[in-house]
Amino acid sequence: MHSTALKIAWREARASTAKFLFVILAVALGVGALTGVRGFSEAFRGMLTRDARKLMAADMTVRSFSLATGEQVKAMDALPNIRRTWITETVSMLSTPTASVPVLVSIKAVDPEVYPFYGEFKLEPPQRLVETLDAGAIAVSDDLLVRLDLKLGDSVRLGSADFRIAATVAVEPDRMAGSLNVGPRILMSRAGLDRTGLMVEGSRASHRYLFRFDAGAMGVEQARGKLKDAFPEAQIIDYRETHPLITRGLDRSTKFLSLVSLIALIVGALGVAMAMHSHLQQKLDSIAVMKSLGARSGQIIRIYTIQTLILGTLGGGAGIVVGIAVQRIFPQLIARYFHLDPGFHWDPLSAVQGLAVGVLTTLLFTIPPLLSIRRVKPSLILRREMEETRPGWRDRIRHGKAAMAATALILAGVLGIVWWLSESLRTGLYFVGGFTVSLLILAGIAVGLLWGLKRFSRSAQQRMPAVVRHGIANIHRPGNQAAALLVALGLGVMFTLTVYLVQKSMLAQIASSAPPGMPNVFLINITAKERDGVAALLAGHPGMQNRPEVVPLTAARIVKINGAPIGDRQLKGFSRRFTQTRSVSWARELPPQSNIVEGKFWDASTKGAAICLSEDAAKTLPSKPGDTIEWIASGKSISARVVCIYRSDSVRIGSNFDFLFNPGSLDGLPTLHFAAVRMQPGQIAPLQRAVFSRFPTVTVINGADVLAIIQEVVDQIALVIRFISFFAILAGAIILASSVAGTRFRRVREVVILKTLGATRRRIGGIFSVEFLILGLAAGLLGSLLATGFSLLVLKRLFQVDYSFDPVPHAIAIGLTALLANAAGWAASHRILQQKPLEALRGSL
Amino acid sequence: MPSDPIIQVRGLTKSITNGAHTVEILRGVGFDVPKGQFIAIMGPSGSGKSTLLGLLAGLDSATAGSIVLDGEEITGLGEDELAMVRGRKIGFVFQSYQLIPTLTALENVLLPHELAGGGNGRPRALELLESVGLTGRRDHYPIQLSGGEQQRVALARAFMARPPILMADEPTGNLDSANGAHVLELLLALNRREGTTLVLVTHDAALAAQAGRILRLKDGVVVGDDLRA
Repeated sequence: MHSTALKIAWREARASTAKFLFVILAVALGVGALTGVRGFSEAFRGMLTRDARKLMAADMTVRSFSLATGEQVKAMDALPNIRRTWITETVSMLSTPTASVPVLVSIKAVDPEVYPFYGEFKLEPPQRLVETLDAGAIAVSDDLLVRLDLKLGDSVRLGSADFRIAATVAVEPDRMAGSLNVGPRILMSRAGLDRTGLMVEGSRASHRYLFRFDAGAMGVEQARGKLKDAFPEAQIIDYRETHPLITRGLDRSTKFLSLVSLIALIVGALGVAMAMHSHLQQKLDSIAVMKSLGARSGQIIRIYTIQTLILGTLGGGAGIVVGIAVQRIFPQLIARYFHLDPGFHWDPLSAVQGLAVGVLTTLLFTIPPLLSIRRVKPSLILRREMEETRPGWRDRIRHGKAAMAATALILAGVLGIVWWLSESLRTGLYFVGGFTVSLLILAGIAVGLLWGLKRFSRSAQQRMPAVVRHGIANIHRPGNQAAALLVALGLGVMFTLTVYLVQKSMLAQIASSAPPGMPNVFLINITAKERDGVAALLAGHPGMQNRPEVVPLTAARIVKINGAPIGDRQLKGFSRRFTQTRSVSWARELPPQSNIVEGKFWDASTKGAAICLSEDAAKTLPSKPGDTIEWIASGKSISARVVCIYRSDSVRIGSNFDFLFNPGSLDGLPTLHFAAVRMQPGQIAPLQRAVFSRFPTVTVINGADVLAIIQEVVDQIALVIRFISFFAILAGAIILASSVAGTRFRRVREVVILKTLGATRRRIGGIFSVEFLILGLAAGLLGSLLATGFSLLVLKRLFQVDYSFDPVPHAIAIGLTALLANAAGWAASHRILQQKPLEALRGSL
Repeated sequence: MPSDPIIQVRGLTKSITNGAHTVEILRGVGFDVPKGQFIAIMGPSGSGKSTLLGLLAGLDSATAGSIVLDGEEITGLGEDELAMVRGRKIGFVFQSYQLIPTLTALENVLLPHELAGGGNGRPRALELLESVGLTGRRDHYPIQLSGGEQQRVALARAFMARPPILMADEPTGNLDSANGAHVLELLLALNRREGTTLVLVTHDAALAAQAGRILRLKDGVVVGDDLRA
């Protein structure tokens, strides 16, 4: 029987190519998205491992946010046969005589004689780094040239020095390993950085030490150990591992995008189930004949299971090809963020995994139609009327049980797949829960919509043009599975639109929610010498909306609390920040809009070093007044008594400190000042110009620029998610085409009858268009409604952000879905219109 | 009676509930069919003859009564058990041929044998195709065959598994008179050769005249049972 089952399955599938072609394509889209995402991820990971040395330009790096102390330098010098070079990265302002406003740039200072140890830093026009960079020449990324309308050879001002632009940066091998990558890149020599005067003790900068192990050097592990001892706080990475932050980001995005792909795949699988259902409806006679010849249900189910497997495998196979295309498009999508192309490496494992998930998902969702084979009575062959017999309650319970078992199997299967893709049972449960609820709501609304449409068309029968009436009637044609179509297409629309709405609301929230008093301009790297000048400039500048404060900042790290090392406290996650070097400040008076919740603020009579803790710090550490906290700052030990805990009602970012010292206790430490002010947006550019002309080493950050950077990153992420989620919409549209193809015979008959009765092709075309457009509109509406609900839930629950309804994206989504549905419908039915009445009436049906 | 009954029917009732209406199609039908008999079931449209045939073949379940086929009680059996009984004991010929469109003539004939999980059935299938004069058409699909040819393939298929009982539902109903006569001739010849009990449903008196016994149905009850010479 196996060979006969296979024969029947294969020949039927072949005979229904047109009908099944669309579902194969729908599955291919889902599998393609999945294999594309995972293939790209594997290629990226492969590149990270393979090119690890190139990506950090060294065998080993040490990254620290403070300058190396004498002891640390000594420790590095004591590593024999290991060369090293030092890179400093920071942000600052760059301007030109003609620029209307200074630009925030990210500076990287290197020693061009030795940097990079691995990989190649490419400049445009091509030239060697060592011949290009000198104390007066820099290389810049080309976006700076565009932004300030500059060309090679032009002069720019950075800090207190002028530089000539000698080249643009084409490829920077270790860009991903760096930090503070905001704004255009400026590459300069160390001598150049010294000329700017930007680097003073305590300046905010990231320092990377690159090491190259020559012959005779000690082992990597041993060197790593020695460096870890010297730099306990620094991040140390060697070529044997990938950058932990990048790897973590890659893992998370791969998991998330895999799940988004899975939605497209499930839509495709729903399509296969729908196609299989209508296919089985057409094969009832064959099934009944086989049963009457002695076939057991199991034997017939085998035939159609094989057919499903054929469809799933063909879809999966085509999906692998689609996946290659997705994988090739991916680097372009993320090009703005990662200036790297991992190259195309086809990953057979990802392809096999995608194929397996594709076949399994298809099979799972086809269980219900396959099980319905059991209910086909062989007596159907003798008289169809018998089928109309209402089943007894026993049968109904039995079938209900089977349906429930099938549903449970599908959910368990999807749970298993999500668990495997996300490596988290919790995510699996959330996914299955969310998905089930969405499907139920979608199905409920879809059925309601269709019912309403039917009632409406009946009640308005006489007032509606016949074309519209017939179009609506077509939606309810037997075998059209309109509700399932709406669910499949609506699911795709819902997901894509939700991503867009959440992204838009988040950005709108960041842009608009700044309450009065929230600063929108930040000035950093103000030296003690510049402090009073900057304060005076700010106070006298027009458009200032609050009293500018210039607060001192110094870097310090907690060593012990009440004599016990901070390491003993087992702080986890975000709380671990208290074990690292932090910015601390000092004040004579309690900052405005703050009040003491415990203890007493200092006054002139307070003796020795005292600290006031923020409520958050006091709770997290934990600590209370009376405790003694030992600090280390720039190699100096400070022991300070906790005297109070304060709460700030102010939302002024940056001027809320977890640790506030009393005057005098931080004297002698390298101190930089920081100011955060709120001013009229129109006055920000003049302020930036004024500050730059008098204090060129002070960095003025416009909140709007930061927002633009955040927006760019969010846009980039959203673009990738939308790209993948669009596959779900496409799969939905293709299912619509498949359903249209599945009802081809009925449509041909109708077209022939209508033509025989004198209907023109134009009129019949109109009827079909109304049908497809209404289906698309309804699916768009459904997806849009659900997207509103979902966005509201996600924004309120996860991000505590308000959702404001904007009809435009909804209208666009609904309109586009209608057009897409129309295109898909016509793709599957344009040939029907060409049908000559006589051909069909002769019995070629 | 020439020999022991191969079909025993007692108090057979079948009713259909459609919404609030219950229609009784068969009302307490009972009769025996001895081994090797050719029995024709006749009656006007709606008399219940196709329903009776369906119940005899286990294609549907009765509301009440019992059917014993070749010593085996089939009322109350599950779907799959019934399928197995059909596979072993019953051959079928339908009015509209009912070949599987995706299998060739030869594969269609082989199907009952394969469903029963038998060994190499090919020689017998070829021999049956030869006896219905279709050796040259064995690799053709149903769509490539005429109505008469399709029904001849169906005949060969019906005898493939050597069933003790053959059931035929208006086997010549869709054919012109020449083809109909040819098919009937083949059916009877094969029936004689294989020694099968033949139950034939028809409203064609000429066709029924060939049978050894005619059972007449009207409104779900047996109104005549004529044993002929």
